[in-house]
Amino acid sequence: MKRIFSIVGWIAVAVLGAGALGSIALHRGEPLNATWFVVAAVCCYLVAYRLYSAFVAAKVLALDDTRATPCERHDDGRDFVPTNKWVLFGHHFAAIAGPGPLVGPTLAAQFGYLPGTLWLIAGAAFAGCVQDFVILFCSIRRDGKSIGQMAREEVSERGGFIAQLAVLAIMTILLAVIGLVVVNALKSSPWATFTLAMTIPIALLLGLYLRFVRPGRVLEASVMGVALVLFVVVAGQWVADSPSWSRVFTLSGIALAFAIIAYGFAASALPVWLLLAPRDYLSAFIKAGAIFSLAAGILFVRPQVLMPPLTRFIDGTGPVFAGKIFPFCFITIACGAISGFHSLISSGTTPKMILRESHARFIGYGAMLLESFVGVMAMVAACAMPPGVYFAINSPPSIVGGAGDAAAATISGWGYPLQAQTMTDLAHKVGEITLWNRAGGAPSLAVGMAQIFSNTIGGERLLSIWYHFAIMFEALFILTVLDAGTRVGRFMVQDLGARFWKPFGRTGWMPGVLLSSAIIVALWGYFLYQGVVDPLGGINSLWPLFGISNQLLAAVALVVATTILMKMGRLKWIWVTLLPMAWLVTITMTASYQKIFDANPRIGFLAYAKALAAQIAAGKIPTERIAETQRLIFNQRLDAGVTGVLAAMILVLIVEALAHWYAILSRRKESALHESPYIATRWAADYSGASHGDD
Amino acid sequence: MRHAAKSASRFLRRFWRGLREWCGDAAYESYLRSKGRRSSSCRTLSPAEFYVEQLNRRYSKPNRCC
Repeated sequence: MKRIFSIVGWIAVAVLGAGALGSIALHRGEPLNATWFVVAAVCCYLVAYRLYSAFVAAKVLALDDTRATPCERHDDGRDFVPTNKWVLFGHHFAAIAGPGPLVGPTLAAQFGYLPGTLWLIAGAAFAGCVQDFVILFCSIRRDGKSIGQMAREEVSERGGFIAQLAVLAIMTILLAVIGLVVVNALKSSPWATFTLAMTIPIALLLGLYLRFVRPGRVLEASVMGVALVLFVVVAGQWVADSPSWSRVFTLSGIALAFAIIAYGFAASALPVWLLLAPRDYLSAFIKAGAIFSLAAGILFVRPQVLMPPLTRFIDGTGPVFAGKIFPFCFITIACGAISGFHSLISSGTTPKMILRESHARFIGYGAMLLESFVGVMAMVAACAMPPGVYFAINSPPSIVGGAGDAAAATISGWGYPLQAQTMTDLAHKVGEITLWNRAGGAPSLAVGMAQIFSNTIGGERLLSIWYHFAIMFEALFILTVLDAGTRVGRFMVQDLGARFWKPFGRTGWMPGVLLSSAIIVALWGYFLYQGVVDPLGGINSLWPLFGISNQLLAAVALVVATTILMKMGRLKWIWVTLLPMAWLVTITMTASYQKIFDANPRIGFLAYAKALAAQIAAGKIPTERIAETQRLIFNQRLDAGVTGVLAAMILVLIVEALAHWYAILSRRKESALHESPYIATRWAADYSGASHGDD
Repeated sequence: MRHAAKSASRFLRRFWRGLREWCGDAAYESYLRSKGRRSSSCRTLSPAEFYVEQLNRRYSKPNRCC
């Protein structure tokens, strides 16, 4: 009887999900209520988790709970710590959920809500969650080895080298592009700049408290820190209202870029306990709070989605970034659907803390589903504002013709009615000087979030506070990724440098620390600066590069996963990882080709460089701007070169993998798995972690 | 009623423990409890030493995603 109820219940969930998906896909005309998005996403996730992840767990991976996991075998209280599965889920989710699932869907909303939403749901269920789950499983079976080590051992030396290069490439481009998102969020905004600047002394204060006053008492320090951060969000209004202070905190894009570069350098070179770690604690609490508040706000307010399902920009002429739905929607939304970067987390801390193999399903697959849901919420927040306002915020001046009446006329001409006064009023309501041309996703997401929050608590009176809270939340955790990433990048540079000169690799040697920090900061700082001065808005060139590099890493992870499945003798199930891999390679290669060679200067780097060179030759560029234009030409060629290298890496990897698979299948090569030997667990079946087991 | 109060109290206790573990507040206690530490001949670290050592280790590899 129970089984029948269960089957009927799951059929009801599936039918409800299909109905909600049908509604958002086929609805035309009147605005659609956001509740449909939540219902469609949640039902699809439930069905995917119940059926597909169970199939992967049972048939493909054959999880074995009698096997001791790395934390049981190496329990050292440091890296290998037996952790309750709910706590580890929280850890894992906090680690994988960065700005990507918020910014990507917001940018992809230019195609309309439909393509991005479908990709978020389907991409997560069939690709992203599978990647995270399978890599986590593979790493558990190998004592928590990293994706690079697994690629080296299971595929080939070259595969491992490509994985390492991919990590460095993604790190450099990721840091530049998220830096650009922060610059565009803070540009000409004294309130937001003050609030974010104040988080630095707050973090320093917490760092000193946690180091010298109450070592390791993270919870009490975080409560103090969050209270102080909320206070400076409110205090930012006083700064913005004061003419003299407002001037101090009103910075141009270039000034902000240099400030972020200097911050990245300081965070990398200073002791980790002083600035980086306390900022991370603050960010984790505010991130969790803001994401759950957004979910609750959407359910409470149930906003109308005003963006149409498909906009005219599916033809590739979008103002936010140029390019058609295929492949650019799938490159723009990486995190939220599938993100190669997650494979670093799934083969990093999490496998060393997991209690049982069966928990990998809940943590690997489940946490990614939750991240996808964050992406769907970001899509709803972006699409809940009038499309005209969305395009006014996210379009660069060179596309819409600056700001004011001319820009409003351009956007209205696209079929999305907008009056310049609407933007002036909105900017006034959220306490900003202007909201025109703030590409990057953060300001439009903040407007969407602020509208949802203010409809829940405070009404229009609190709109400006909520807007700046949302900006602070986005910028705070973007900078957390930026400083942690810069530090990891510094270690990679030191590691690389040590091959040529041993002392350079010593992490405590100050000249080495300073030099390697300077190198990694210069690498991403150059791309950031290039994005800030780009007349097309920077996001147009940098975000696709980030998407390509991220998906490259996902392709590496799926190659490793497929190879391991093959060696495990699960040949008939390898389509589980092989199909997502083939899809990723297809979109990445197509996007790379178009970004390099497309004849449209807004898409192709080389075409843009050629167009600029032609303008110089025709004497259309004033003499004083020739040097700047030549720099732009160089940057476009550099971006083309970087894209070409990434594409070449994918090709080499695929050829390498195919040769390896052929050798295994034709038995020319021994199919040796590099798993740790089986050791039976000694933990009782209901053991749930060190402290939780005490109950 | 008493049963409900007991369940609620147990839930809150577990939640509090989970929160402390999630944010790292209970990391030193886990270290003291760990089998590896108890069986090792190395000196037990003080809370301040453990805190710095743990942070240096955690932030030397990717631990925050995009």
